[in-house]
Amino acid sequence: MTTIQEQIQQKEGIRPLDVNAEIILETRGLAKHFELAGGFLGFGNKPTLKAVDGIDVIVRAGETVGLVGESGCGKSTTAKLLLGLEKPTAGQIFFKGEDFTKMSRAAKRDYRKNVQAVFQDPWSSLNPRMRVKSIVAEPLQIVTKMTKGEIGTRVSEVLEEVGLNAYQANLYPHEFSGGQRQRIGVARALALNPEVMILDEPVSALDVSIRAQILNLLVDLQKEHNLAYLMIAHNLATVRYMCHTTAVMYLGGIKEIGDSEPIFSNPLHPYTQALISAALPSHPDIEREEIILPGEVPSPVDPPSGCTFNPRCPVKIGDVCEQWAPGLTEEETSHWVSCHLYGDAKERFDAGEAIPAAAVEDDA
Amino acid sequence: MVDSPEQDRVESGDYSDREDADRDGFGPSTVQDDVILELKNLRTYFQTSYGTVKAVDGVSYHVKRGETLGVVGESGSGKSVTALSIMRLIPSPPGYIVGGEVILDGQNVLDLSDNEMAKIRGSKVGMILQDPMTALNPVFNIENQVGEAIRIHQNLKGQSLVDKIIHSLRQVRIPAAESRMKDFPHQLSGGMRQRVVGAISISCAPIVLIADEPTTALDVTIQAGYLRLLKEIQAETGVGIIFITHDFGIVAKMCDRVAVMYAGRIVETGDVRQIFNEPSHPYSEALLASVPKLEERTQRLYSIEGQPPPLFDLPPGCPFAPRCEYAQDVCRDVYPVRSEIDENHTASCWKLLDFDISKADPEELAAAQSVSVTAVAEEQLQEAEAVAD
Ligand SMILES: Nc1ncnc2c1ncn2[C@@H]1O[C@H](COP(=O)(O)OP(=O)(O)OP(=O)(O)O)[C@@H](O)[C@H]1O
Ligand SMILES: Nc1ncnc2c1ncn2[C@@H]1O[C@H](COP(=O)(O)OP(=O)(O)O)[C@@H](O)[C@H]1O
Ligand code: SF4
Ligand code: SF4
Ligand SMILES: [Mg+2]
Ligand SMILES: [Mg+2]
Repeated sequence: MTTIQEQIQQKEGIRPLDVNAEIILETRGLAKHFELAGGFLGFGNKPTLKAVDGIDVIVRAGETVGLVGESGCGKSTTAKLLLGLEKPTAGQIFFKGEDFTKMSRAAKRDYRKNVQAVFQDPWSSLNPRMRVKSIVAEPLQIVTKMTKGEIGTRVSEVLEEVGLNAYQANLYPHEFSGGQRQRIGVARALALNPEVMILDEPVSALDVSIRAQILNLLVDLQKEHNLAYLMIAHNLATVRYMCHTTAVMYLGGIKEIGDSEPIFSNPLHPYTQALISAALPSHPDIEREEIILPGEVPSPVDPPSGCTFNPRCPVKIGDVCEQWAPGLTEEETSHWVSCHLYGDAKERFDAGEAIPAAAVEDDA
Repeated sequence: MVDSPEQDRVESGDYSDREDADRDGFGPSTVQDDVILELKNLRTYFQTSYGTVKAVDGVSYHVKRGETLGVVGESGSGKSVTALSIMRLIPSPPGYIVGGEVILDGQNVLDLSDNEMAKIRGSKVGMILQDPMTALNPVFNIENQVGEAIRIHQNLKGQSLVDKIIHSLRQVRIPAAESRMKDFPHQLSGGMRQRVVGAISISCAPIVLIADEPTTALDVTIQAGYLRLLKEIQAETGVGIIFITHDFGIVAKMCDRVAVMYAGRIVETGDVRQIFNEPSHPYSEALLASVPKLEERTQRLYSIEGQPPPLFDLPPGCPFAPRCEYAQDVCRDVYPVRSEIDENHTASCWKLLDFDISKADPEELAAAQSVSVTAVAEEQLQEAEAVAD
């Protein structure tokens, strides 16, 4: 009889990040602005909603990058941009160094094959009228020229990899529990042997008791196939468990990004500090001093000028925060932050230096 | 465990102090008056085409004034049905409360007429549900909805009613209550809407508030604000809270005591620190080991394989046995008896008795089996159905 604690110790979690691993996915200044209906009688400026407003992210082979932030900050829109489901308003997406917009048709097809997704809701993301084997086979039929026999073999392979039995291939989605359905979703994404998986809240809709099953499955698959993950989550503890790198988003922008460990043990951005302070403790003896932010997240239609966090920032340092948008500064090794508390922007601002509001790059 | 009173009882064979001293495993309720709600052996079954769903099968717990009891367990374990039974809001058919007592403020609410119960609902006991949208009516503004709740129980009109509405909204920290109360639900954010539901539930100063996963749909910072608000209201009013959740983080932050539920029964009860420091039922231990920590990186999570058994076809022994690392033959055959680990800390598991059935108190053993021995319950169910027809 092994105890639960022994069981855990026999297995390993995520593998440490290899900083020299190939960069699989990269975004530069990626933005998505939605034009909303409105304007005066159809004239004049239509309001635009800045869902994603210029983000730079790098994902390496075998790495998980976590995107965290509150509802509406642009996480899923980022995922859709990377999946080619939305067209960027500005910025670029590179796949292994190649600019997506400049890719040939064949290369774009290859991109779609290599970048797969697992979504939050295993109840609605699977077609209820299809048997599991058809659900998993579908991407293979559409994208590859595999024969029926080859497809059948591949389907059995991936179903086994995600821990489902061969006989279950003939069942329909409603015959599975939530956790099993999410396994089917993972199998479908895995079928094409992708290099990247975009995971949009893959366990939020699942019961706590089965979240760990899926998280561990993803950890093990990553190690097995050297997969790159971009994982969206709003549970900070889950991000700390899964992600080598963490990016904190607020109103369409990245406020802090870097190795997960320093971000969680030494958060630099006032927003990250507030988020972590508000997260639930893992033990009743832990009492965190909660940083209470005034007001609500402003509308992305009319985001505040300068630092978008300035109306709610408890440690705002002055007019510079309202007028100069801070860039990302590498404050310590592999730990970037977008805030005037770091760097010399305040001195330069106070000295009357004129800098265009859009790009203040601090030299730390 | 060696020095536990349970062990003493087992050794001495003296159980005379057992029954009234420790009704629900939470230990003797020393100040009887402080217990404002007590469930005794509650059983709620659903009669469905696929069988009798034993959603709640012998649940006992109590709540004292000013304290928060956390009820945890995975989805389908019977947490909400227990809560709805307290409110007597079980849809019938197919659901029937087939046994037990729900003592609210000294009175068994299961004995009350529907009219009497309607008066208690919302006044003595309030409820906050997971999805605020279903609790609010989209076509009425906030003033109307809070006002309606107050009018049912208190004879207020005109300005005094408006004052009371504003007071309730201020109590849940809605800024500019006078103007915001003219808003309709869709004009409010998710966090605000949940506050309005909170205002409705506390408007008549209930003594017990049942919060059924009220913050699951909310963002981290908004959730934190809401939890803080509940604590403040509790400090102001002394309301006893039953917090139903599957999130141990909420338990750690909010609860004084915990009841862990699995497959329609309470499998472990204790003070919050006892549960976190020494989870004694394998299910509690497994659940705690399956959640990542924020404060330090968890190396590897434990994953509980499989899923809970269907409640219409429960195995004879321990319902957790198919998923339990420690299960032995006895577990699969005989429902485990409750053991006392420490003062106020009990769990129902054979491991705590070294899988030795002879170490079990015969009465407890019989009681544990009879929970599901449905001769009595089946009979009651048939009676209830006959009455309903
Ligand atoms: N097709 C669209 N048209 C207009 N606005 C949109 C569209 N899609 C998203 N948005 C807006 O863009 C912003 C970002 O949305 P997104 O779905 O990316 O948020 P999110 O971070 O994934 O939030 P959540 O945590 O709630 O999933 C929101 O304000 C949203 O309302
Ligand atoms: N109206 C109903 N008819 C049949 N079964 C029901 C009904 N309501 C609840 N149940 C069953 O009762 C069990 C407990 O449900 P519930 O109390 O809602 O669980 P939870 O612990 O997630 O709150 C589940 O198996 C559920 O399917
Ligand atoms: S730039 Fe200014 S307002 Fe923005 S987070 Fe930093 S201190 Fe706060
Ligand atoms: S009684 Fe047996 S199967 Fe049930 S929890 Fe205890 S050890 Fe596991
Ligand atoms: Mg989203
Ligand atoms: Mg429920």
